[in-house]
Amino acid sequence: MRVLGPLVMSGLLLACGVAVADEASLSAKELQGKRAYDHICVYCHGPGVWGTNRLAKRLDKEHALLENRTDLPAPAIRAIVRSGVGSMPPMRRTELSDSDLEAIAAYLTRHGR
Amino acid sequence: MAQSSVRPPGVSEAEFKDALKAFAAIVGPEWVLVSEEDRHSYLDAFAPGNPDEHASSAAVAPRSAEEVQAIVKAANRYRIPLWPVSTGRNLAYGGSAPVLRGSVVLDLKRMNRVLEIDEELGYALVEPGVSFFDLFEALQAAGGKLWISTPAPGWGSVIGNALEHGLGYTPYGVHTDTICGMEVVLPTGELVRTGMGAVKDSREWQIFKYGYGPVWDGLFTQSNFGVVTKMGVWLMPQPEAVANVAISLPNAGDLPVMVDTLRPLRLNDTINATYTITNPFRSIVDGFSAQGKSRADIYKGTGSIPFDVVAKELAAEGRGLWNATFNLFDRDKGLDLRIAAIQEAFAHVPGAKVQTRRWQRGQPFEQWMRVQPGLFALGIVDWYGGPGGHMNYAPVVAPIGKRVGELYEAIYQRFVEYGIDFYAGMLNVGPRALLVNAVMFFNRDDADLIRRGRELYRVLAKDGIASGFGDYRAHISFMDEAADMYTFNGHALRTLNERVKDALDPQGILAPGKQGIWPRALRGNRGKS
Repeated sequence: MRVLGPLVMSGLLLACGVAVADEASLSAKELQGKRAYDHICVYCHGPGVWGTNRLAKRLDKEHALLENRTDLPAPAIRAIVRSGVGSMPPMRRTELSDSDLEAIAAYLTRHGR
Repeated sequence: MAQSSVRPPGVSEAEFKDALKAFAAIVGPEWVLVSEEDRHSYLDAFAPGNPDEHASSAAVAPRSAEEVQAIVKAANRYRIPLWPVSTGRNLAYGGSAPVLRGSVVLDLKRMNRVLEIDEELGYALVEPGVSFFDLFEALQAAGGKLWISTPAPGWGSVIGNALEHGLGYTPYGVHTDTICGMEVVLPTGELVRTGMGAVKDSREWQIFKYGYGPVWDGLFTQSNFGVVTKMGVWLMPQPEAVANVAISLPNAGDLPVMVDTLRPLRLNDTINATYTITNPFRSIVDGFSAQGKSRADIYKGTGSIPFDVVAKELAAEGRGLWNATFNLFDRDKGLDLRIAAIQEAFAHVPGAKVQTRRWQRGQPFEQWMRVQPGLFALGIVDWYGGPGGHMNYAPVVAPIGKRVGELYEAIYQRFVEYGIDFYAGMLNVGPRALLVNAVMFFNRDDADLIRRGRELYRVLAKDGIASGFGDYRAHISFMDEAADMYTFNGHALRTLNERVKDALDPQGILAPGKQGIWPRALRGNRGKS
């Protein structure tokens, strides 16, 4: 996906020092998670956008970009996505399948595998 | 199957259980969603008050029009109210929550196919679960020769937004006008196609709106007369070039001259896309939200933020008090001519600044173009610190400076009276209309602010009745108040709508209360949302 994402995001990625995951290093499940993340989550949790800005203010810049985090537990990811938190609305099963949610959790916790 | 703690009104536990079983037989048990976690995900995420007031009893998620037909027929058997949602992201208007508590959400998100893209004729045929993100990606993958018109948040449904009279920022920005041909499941389960789609095997469904006889498409917008399962949408061929024009006027009293100067330019198509005029406060907030800032960064007092605080911020940014922005779409030389005409018109307005920037085919998209869908605009909801939300009051007014100025001032004074910051944009709908979109932000945990916001909406609606205005769209909690504003001849339009409702939906199962249209058996609920 993200056909256009790179056009807009590439400059921001460089500017924000995002460690873009090397797809070759990902397991099949993590790769599925990255693709789902790029399709659904990145619009709020990419560099320089709403969710990232909110987390930077609430926590700090280091913890603002979810793809760079190494401290996210999978159960918390599942709970937040399904229940919502703050101004983030819940993601329904029809818009994000359980399989893709598990894959996103695997992708965001890949550092601890 | 789990049991729901909420039931449709007037339906026994046993009947509800049987209805859910019938739904499960149609879509499979995994797509009848009744657990507390699932039901929670259908609450209004930006509810102005207790979201449980509009809680659903369950959701059912079909994959095809045939499954929608079967669900609707089962709902008639068991008298289950259904609340259709496309992507369920109608936030600020209720999200995926129903007007009538206990309704079953008919979640169409799984119907998410882009069925056809025709680059020669400039249209797509889509299902309701297709978001602006999805269609954008599909068009890019097809070669990028066609562009979508997207509203501020891109996660909404292409169909849902057009049906709710949503707006974008291109020459195709009045989304309801881009509808061409629908497939609709009626409230009793029959399947119809409108326009040329009524001709079996027609290949002209998406190119001629009118067919033969009455044009029905409008009746399925902002209504509860059917479930749209497919829709044609006209798309703009990629232009050679785009220009953004930002106009700034210096004085507090410059709104009328802004409106009067833009009007002829829009009417003669020099400005060939929708424009937005932002009030002084909105000019600050839009910039702040992009930086992750909120109210406390400039003001910690109670009540409506003082004008001098707003003016000082804008002065520090070197901006005037009234700002307008829009994009122009043309060949490069055509843009030169359009921009020259705009500069000439504003040369007569004291203190006007006109700034432009350009894009040409082949260059990367930029955010100001508003062509690529995003969620950038959502940052504003946390203006009061969050977790936030907002309600809107958006009466329709002609772009006549004096008239817009008077309406704006009347709404502004009410915001001050109720102690709420006044965020407003004058959104242009076609060449002859503006919406004064007055937004009431709140923190969802601030009961007093929410109470004042709700009272403010109601008093503004009453003011509108007194002065002859009507809102164009409303949150599920205020659909009756908005319908009340259409007062001519004892609310004759509402009477007509409800006569049609009773004819098409005798059991009253489809979206009771939507747009203030109640079926006969449930009219006693009017005004109780």
